Amino acid sequence: CNDKSLDQLNPNAVTTDSYFKTDVQIKSATNGIYAALQSTNLVAREWFFTEDLRSDDVSAGGGQLETPRNQLLTGVHDTGNSLVSAVWTGAYRIIHRANVVIDKAAASTSTLTASVAAQATGEAKFLRAWSYFELVSLWGGVPLYKNYVTSLAGSAPRSPEADVYAFIVADLKAAQEALPATYDAANQGRATKGAAQMLLARVYMQQGDYANAKTELQKIISSGTYQLVDEYNDNFIEETEFNKESIWEVNFLPSGGTFNWGGDGDGASGGEETVRTQEYSGIGWRNIIPSNSLLAEFEKTSKGDAKTDPRYAKSVYTTGDKFNNGQNVLTDAQQNGFSSMVDGKEQKISWRKFTLMYKAGVSTTGGINQRIMRYAETLLAMAECENELGNMASAVTYLNMIRNRASVAMPVYPTANYPVSTKDQVFTAIMHERRIELNGEEIRNRDILRWRKLGKLKTEPLAYFQKGKHELLPIPQQEIDNNPNIGLKGQNPGY
Amino acid sequence: IFTLSVKAQNASADKSITGTVLDEKGSPLVGVNIQIRGTTRGTASDARGAYRIDVPNGNAVLVFSYIGYKKQEIAVNNQSTINVSLEGDAGSLEEVVVVGYGTQRRSSLTGAVSTVTPKELTALPVPNVTSALQGRVPGVSVVNNGGPGSSPIVQIRGIGSINYASGPLYVIDGVPTGDLNSFNTNDIESLEVLKDASSAAIYGSRASNGVILITTKKGGRDSKIRISLDSYVGTQSAWHKVDVLNRDQYVQYAKALTSNAGIPTPGRLSDLNQPIYAGATQTFAQTETNWQNELFRNAPIAQHQLSLSGGNAVSRFFASGSYFKQNGIMKGTDFERGSLRLNSDHQVAKFLTIGQTLTAAYSNQRAEPSADRSQLMHAIRMMPYWPTTDPTKVGGFSAPTALDGSDPENPLRALTMDVTRTKFLKAFATVYADVRLTSFLKYRFNYGVDLGFTNGSTFNPIYNDGYVQRTSATVSQVRNTNISQVITNQLSFDKTFGKHSLSVLAVAETQKVLSTGLTGSGTRPNNDLDVIQGVSNPSITSTRAETDLISYVGRVNYDYEGKYLLSASIRRDGSSLFAPGNKWGNFPSASVGWRINQEGFMKGMPQLSELKLRASYGRTGFNGINNYAWQSLVQADATAYPFGSANSLGSYFNSLGNTELKWETTDMVNVGVDVGLFNNRITFTGEVYNRFTDGLILAVPIPNSIGYTNAPVANIGSMKNWGYEFQAGYNYAKGDFRGNVSANVGITRNRVLSLATPTASIYAGQNADYGGFDITKTEVGQPIQSFYGWQVDGIFQDQAAINTANAVDGNDKTLYQDKAAPGDIKFKDLNGDGKIDANDRTYLGSYLPKFNYGANFSGTYKNFDFTLYLQGVQGNKIYNGTKVVTQGMLRLFNAGTAVLNAWTPTNTNTDVPRAVSGDPNNNSRTSDRFLEDGSYMRIKNLTIGYSIPVKVLGGLTNGVVSKVRVYVSTQNLLTLTKYTGYDPEIGSRNGTLLRSGIDYASYPQARTFLAGLQLTF
Repeated sequence: CNDKSLDQLNPNAVTTDSYFKTDVQIKSATNGIYAALQSTNLVAREWFFTEDLRSDDVSAGGGQLETPRNQLLTGVHDTGNSLVSAVWTGAYRIIHRANVVIDKAAASTSTLTASVAAQATGEAKFLRAWSYFELVSLWGGVPLYKNYVTSLAGSAPRSPEADVYAFIVADLKAAQEALPATYDAANQGRATKGAAQMLLARVYMQQGDYANAKTELQKIISSGTYQLVDEYNDNFIEETEFNKESIWEVNFLPSGGTFNWGGDGDGASGGEETVRTQEYSGIGWRNIIPSNSLLAEFEKTSKGDAKTDPRYAKSVYTTGDKFNNGQNVLTDAQQNGFSSMVDGKEQKISWRKFTLMYKAGVSTTGGINQRIMRYAETLLAMAECENELGNMASAVTYLNMIRNRASVAMPVYPTANYPVSTKDQVFTAIMHERRIELNGEEIRNRDILRWRKLGKLKTEPLAYFQKGKHELLPIPQQEIDNNPNIGLKGQNPGY
Repeated sequence: IFTLSVKAQNASADKSITGTVLDEKGSPLVGVNIQIRGTTRGTASDARGAYRIDVPNGNAVLVFSYIGYKKQEIAVNNQSTINVSLEGDAGSLEEVVVVGYGTQRRSSLTGAVSTVTPKELTALPVPNVTSALQGRVPGVSVVNNGGPGSSPIVQIRGIGSINYASGPLYVIDGVPTGDLNSFNTNDIESLEVLKDASSAAIYGSRASNGVILITTKKGGRDSKIRISLDSYVGTQSAWHKVDVLNRDQYVQYAKALTSNAGIPTPGRLSDLNQPIYAGATQTFAQTETNWQNELFRNAPIAQHQLSLSGGNAVSRFFASGSYFKQNGIMKGTDFERGSLRLNSDHQVAKFLTIGQTLTAAYSNQRAEPSADRSQLMHAIRMMPYWPTTDPTKVGGFSAPTALDGSDPENPLRALTMDVTRTKFLKAFATVYADVRLTSFLKYRFNYGVDLGFTNGSTFNPIYNDGYVQRTSATVSQVRNTNISQVITNQLSFDKTFGKHSLSVLAVAETQKVLSTGLTGSGTRPNNDLDVIQGVSNPSITSTRAETDLISYVGRVNYDYEGKYLLSASIRRDGSSLFAPGNKWGNFPSASVGWRINQEGFMKGMPQLSELKLRASYGRTGFNGINNYAWQSLVQADATAYPFGSANSLGSYFNSLGNTELKWETTDMVNVGVDVGLFNNRITFTGEVYNRFTDGLILAVPIPNSIGYTNAPVANIGSMKNWGYEFQAGYNYAKGDFRGNVSANVGITRNRVLSLATPTASIYAGQNADYGGFDITKTEVGQPIQSFYGWQVDGIFQDQAAINTANAVDGNDKTLYQDKAAPGDIKFKDLNGDGKIDANDRTYLGSYLPKFNYGANFSGTYKNFDFTLYLQGVQGNKIYNGTKVVTQGMLRLFNAGTAVLNAWTPTNTNTDVPRAVSGDPNNNSRTSDRFLEDGSYMRIKNLTIGYSIPVKVLGGLTNGVVSKVRVYVSTQNLLTLTKYTGYDPEIGSRNGTLLRSGIDYASYPQARTFLAGLQLTF
């Protein structure tokens, strides 16, 4: 017998030691990070649910809302909640894949083109920072992996929140040095310099560091790369992706009704879609609908405002609205579940933003890119920074740029209901404008977290909120059970 | 008590002997094996019991042997006619049993080996021989799993591995194989189950979960050709359905469920007088569909088998052809198999025998479409007012829409339209040569090849059911080829020195398995073709794998005076599955036996025909892990991201490697006793064993934060199984009646002794449709995957009761259950903190039965025969997911009639909580509410047969037909159980071991009636 026959290596895959050495391999590994971003654990499904359900932008659409989602919405989620686990898992998948790219690119200097290594490292650091920011803002201090884990014993304890933030800041500073301002058509969707700057501004603001945030925002504004598009709705439909307003998008492709339900989004062919239309739209599952408080926030002539905000009808559908490329009229019966109270009237309202109902032959899953960051947010963030730094007039100017968008054309501040003569009044206008402009874009949750932490909330937006518990999500039970460096003692308070 | 008639003749040096072999009552015995002792020359008796054999000289001794009768040896001397009457051997302890790499007399066995007879194996109309094993062997658990053609879950002496299928090793004619669906049960001559480590250790690294040895049939030596026809046809049906709401009840329930949650009642319910589709005259109000009746059907089952066998002193052959066809009781499922066999052996020279076996089989299975939700679940959940078909829809099936406020899928659509077929072609062949080097030294060469070709196809056509649509048809094709080759060289030494008998075995063996796979898929714009032609999004992948095993085996058997038995073996295996440095493992075993009844001091007890004590120890291994599992691999270009508007391929690695990975080893101690009374008319065997598995190969539960998707496998953990087995038999004969009773009980216990870390636990079973919480937990100190959840503490009858509970901890602001309202279930506060949360969960029970049993009663009276076979399990729990579906009231779907008894302020004397959509209190969470006793006892088989008397037959057919038997038979005629789901036999949905015993509305076992005919020419 020939003992050599016992030395079998897998012929179907390359070993980790031999891969990640060439330009092509490092580029492919970088693409692999983005693939995790687009998974159902994250942007194709559970991420938008988690962000929205934790905000006051949504309420239950009806009995269709599944238990774990309803738990998040009503604040009774426990450590086994599947959405909490999905986002945690998804974020750490990205971190792992990014760490591999960063570590391997650094180790393979002799076989890699320097520019390729730099670009890949920049993208990986951006994506790693995005993930850590998700984690630290939702869970507080989290395990910090600066390199990819090479052994079973490699799980890390929770790091202090400040350490995680410092790591994110360093990543984003490095990323904006490495990344270009724009890409050619074939590379749209990759992280840009502007995206790194905008994310860094978000990170600074979340810590209350408005001065540093302003610096980053100013770079974006000064670059001239971005501007508001005339049509507000162009930020949420398939045909106008990567427009001038878009800073960073997560890409989806319409591929014929095939949705990849895999949690990690892996697979070289098949579904590159998001299930958002099916989950949210009025004629889909209608799992969640705009909350009454969001609907009431819109300026309306019926409330004594000078003009009804056009963004209302661009964000939500009301019974009687046309859909299916104008061929159908939406009825009450088609929208299963709860009604909303608007202007003291019970009406069926459903999400329009990021749903495909506008198109002919609507399908349930589809390819609308998720705009993660857009220029309107830059201007609104700048307004908040300026106001906090004492420059009220400048803040109002930025706010009014948003209201002056051609398709919006709302009367500029000050208005009768939104005076802007004190810092506090300006802040109220900022809160209002952010909530309206960015409604349903998975930004409100983090705004509430930031303003609550900085003591800026006038009233608590979440009815269920318990101090000392609901500031943070629970560390998933799976992590508690299997990470010996966290254990039961490492759980967040209240869980 | 045999009689020997001697008719003196003149002595002659080389002559023919003729005679007749009869049984005790003077009836001829057909096919008795007659051999000249010390040679391989032999013959067999014919249909009239007559035989003829040429003997070299008068010193020859004839050996008459026949299964079920005591062997006789008769010296020829001067006789030319030797008529023999064989005495029935009530027990079976004298038989020869197949063991690893040889055979052994049962009386000299020292391990735990159980034999199942061909008659038992063919009693049930099941395609897979392991299904036929159910209840036959103590310590062997068989759970049927899924629809036609699905392999059952077989476990010998408990659970051997946590993450891997812990089924036994199957060895057919000396060659290991993984697939029994392709083998025709009628071709089996004998089946042995090697249960203890001393018998199994001879198979070393693959034997941890026991070994099943199968030997296929050979022809007789009576120079007669025998043709047998064996056919049955029958019908199967579901024996139990669950009660669901009819249309009017559903409307009533739906209104309560939604309005209690403040949700508007779905639009449809207020207007059922609409046509069921545009243009139909029938309205929803006029429609009443019983979806279970639509899903289930009376399904035919049939098998036809023809065999041809014969032989003489030089050559023997056995040939058979069979066809089996079974439609599933669920529409859209079926299985068919055709198989051919040719076995032969030839004495080429005095010192050389060569032989071969060959089987070729084709099977074709259409299984239930694999999906998260079972079709049976959809059938329960479907609105009773919904029509089965809808000609206005693409595909012809419709499903409820947003108007109905619910989204079950139409199960008939998937079962009718989506077709997944697995066609499988199997060729399994062995050739061997036996060389007699000296009278005591033999060499055997065996070559076996196991070829499997899988041809899988899936066609999911375009449809639009009005709610969900598939806009392009998907076609996928799978081709797998598996080639396993085994080469065995074995040398055996057998010699008796006075009172000492010694046999020694040495084996060198290699096995090489090569497999290749090719998968292609694409989407098509129409349903015209179900092949990959003109597709978009084409995708093709291929894979290749090789595994090698090199083995050396040695075994010594020694006995002194047939009283003291000793056996020891060792196997050394080298496997390519493990990392360098960990490829080789040693698997020793030793066993002793003491045949007490052979001792002089027992002479005074002639009633005691057998009394043997046995003890054994052995070490076995487990290597059923994936190929290359220790290697850390990159998934190169295995994912994609659509930059711009086109996909770019991406790479990642999602699993840590582990160069430390080595064998999982099992040490087992076994002690047994065999007792026979009154010439073994009464037999009893008892066994006790302790099985300790160390280095348990586990997918280590990793924290998600380290970023890997797949848990790496490592030798972390240990587990213990222990148990007792009892088997007893009784034979009875009086006048024309012959009866046989046999019964067995296997008691098995399991406990996890250690896992990755002291606090590590493995949860499984979570499913949003089944309450959304984990259902099982595997933790140190408990049986594997025990049910884990909350305990029900009644129903909150009013707000005052809730307030009382809130104040349990002295502070009524801290809520007992966040969302409790009157009518909700109160759960037990096990840790006494005044608050119900994850820490109030506890172990609720295990899916493992306390014991398994089987009892067989059979007999003949004149020309009638009957068999009654009972099989059951006792003391196991089932997590009744079907009850979660029918009573969970999570969201609006059709439900069981029990929900009509849901709590309301005026209906308080009930254990069904209030109906409220969304289940805010999580009344449907994992709790003892859904845990049921899974014990059952089944009339697994009841058969009554009639054989036309030989005399009548001879006259009618002019002697051409020697046997005609007709019979009627049922399977699962009656099931006694408290379980309220479809069927208490719960497999493991989608093959996940850690979900065993959770009934996710799984495919139930059928009740079968059939009629059969057996003809022998």
